[in-house]
Amino acid sequence: MRGTLLEKLGTLVRTGVLGLWMLGVVLPMFWVLATSLKSTKEVTRSPFGIPDALAHPGAKTFAVIAENYSKAWVGSGFSAYFWNSLKVVSISLAMILLLGSMAAYCLSRFEFRGRSVIYNAFVAGLLIPMQLILIPLFFQYADWSDVLTRSFAPIARMLQLGNLTVSLHNSHEGIILIYIAASLPFTIFTLTSFFGTLPGGVREAAMIDGASEARTFFSVMLPLAKPGLITVAIFNFLGLWNEYLFGIVFLADNKLKTLPLGLASISMQAQYKSDFGLMFAGLVITMVPTLVVYLLLQRHLTKGITAGAVKG
Amino acid sequence: MSPQHLSRDTKRFLWIGILPSALLYGLFVVWPAINALMYSFTRWDGLSTPVWIGIDNFVNLFKSGSDFVTAISHNIYLTVVPGSIILTLALFFAWMIHLKVAGSTLFRVTFFFPNVIASVAVALLWVLLYSTTEMGPINNIRQALHLEKIPFLESARLLQSIVPMMVWSATGFYLVLFLAAMENIPADYYEAAHLDGASPTLQFIRITLPLMWDVLTTGIIFLIVGGLKFFDAVWVMENGRPSPATHTMSSLMYAKVFEEYNVGYGTAIAVLLFVLVLVITRISMRLLKRERLEY
Repeated sequence: MRGTLLEKLGTLVRTGVLGLWMLGVVLPMFWVLATSLKSTKEVTRSPFGIPDALAHPGAKTFAVIAENYSKAWVGSGFSAYFWNSLKVVSISLAMILLLGSMAAYCLSRFEFRGRSVIYNAFVAGLLIPMQLILIPLFFQYADWSDVLTRSFAPIARMLQLGNLTVSLHNSHEGIILIYIAASLPFTIFTLTSFFGTLPGGVREAAMIDGASEARTFFSVMLPLAKPGLITVAIFNFLGLWNEYLFGIVFLADNKLKTLPLGLASISMQAQYKSDFGLMFAGLVITMVPTLVVYLLLQRHLTKGITAGAVKG
Repeated sequence: MSPQHLSRDTKRFLWIGILPSALLYGLFVVWPAINALMYSFTRWDGLSTPVWIGIDNFVNLFKSGSDFVTAISHNIYLTVVPGSIILTLALFFAWMIHLKVAGSTLFRVTFFFPNVIASVAVALLWVLLYSTTEMGPINNIRQALHLEKIPFLESARLLQSIVPMMVWSATGFYLVLFLAAMENIPADYYEAAHLDGASPTLQFIRITLPLMWDVLTTGIIFLIVGGLKFFDAVWVMENGRPSPATHTMSSLMYAKVFEEYNVGYGTAIAVLLFVLVLVITRISMRLLKRERLEY
């Protein structure tokens, strides 16, 4: 009897301790959300109270919310930042999954000359910090843009398409190429071991039925690899959606900025510093997409980390 | 999978499957990495012809009083201080959840939240939490307790102020990692220990820690590499202009190249960062990865 009481007490204390930390984690986020519903005047008057918009719902108070968010979404260009993020990340992600899964499948299910050299070269990329390739890429892009312009401009003129200048700097295409290439080591490493766990006979069975290698891959192997693909997709999505360092260098033009870049540049401009409503609304717009994706797919993400942990 | 006799269809598929990835990876990762090594042995302003100067850049990095020595000390600070707090808390919380609590899924899910938020947003969130204006919550609490307001974000104090931010944002990830390792340990071990009268603390030290040692090692490597690469928050909190009091290796590299046009020197920092990541990963594996325990 005494044992169970003690156990119950222990569970209670542990739950309490964890609950405290949970409050610490969640409260700042709720505070940001609540403050984004307040006008700048209200922020100054009652920074921690329940927003008027919630305490006294009505047309007038809702107007404040609408103002904060429309100022951020339209006035400060968060809509453009959002669509830029969506474009850059979704194209990168689609290409990473397509190219990465094909390469990983080839490297895991076939025996051919150079296989382990290629695989090891990809995996070695896991140890390369992005800082190492940032500066050379910056200068490489200038050179390559020149070469491309010189080779394609005459053709464009011949086809009467006007003057053509190719620029990998300050273009979504330029940064997408880097994002794809830089994400391949992790993607190929993870998917190669995943394809390795799939049963061996499946491919042979499909081949006996007369399917080509390509058909076998796309309609049999790839669907089987879905759990692995989802895990890889989440990790890459979070990494790319939140990426900052390459963005500063390769997306200097305000029109091209992604959400983290836009948020940072707006917060750095002094005149916005006192416009609390806008700052908080921008913060919410940046935070919400990844939180939503996380909540929807958290089980896969946890499974991914767990698989890594179990393998050590 | 013995060396197969590959049909033409298979060979073509292998080419199409591997070549695009290999090309992209070669052009956008391997080639720049090789170039970085070459740049780091030159003096170059990015426009004129680079001048080969051997290891001078690396020698200059370590001259006493150089910005770099200060910057690397900041990286070490941002690895050791938040890292040890994060490790302790994550182990502690994972152990609490593992011992059975009500609502363990809720805890695991919410603790992870800050980890998925963009580092720029996390930094800005903490800028607001630390604000000295009337809406800064932390200074408000201090005032309510009749304490002085603290300018948490001034350069001299910034690195210390970043520590709670890092703990807030990273602990959840390590908790999930460690909890997964703990749950992988067979329950009979604990039952046996329980019958022998071992206390939970003793069980933790004698059973849990040794059996999750490689995951712990992985966690420590992640923390060290993350600390070495640290950039985003310093950059955002310093409005893109870190001072010598706040520069980390990465921000110093950026400033040297893109503001002072000292490309060789800046790239030497990047090369050194790479070497450090390589060496430290290796050493920690050696030192920490004891014989893997089979169970």
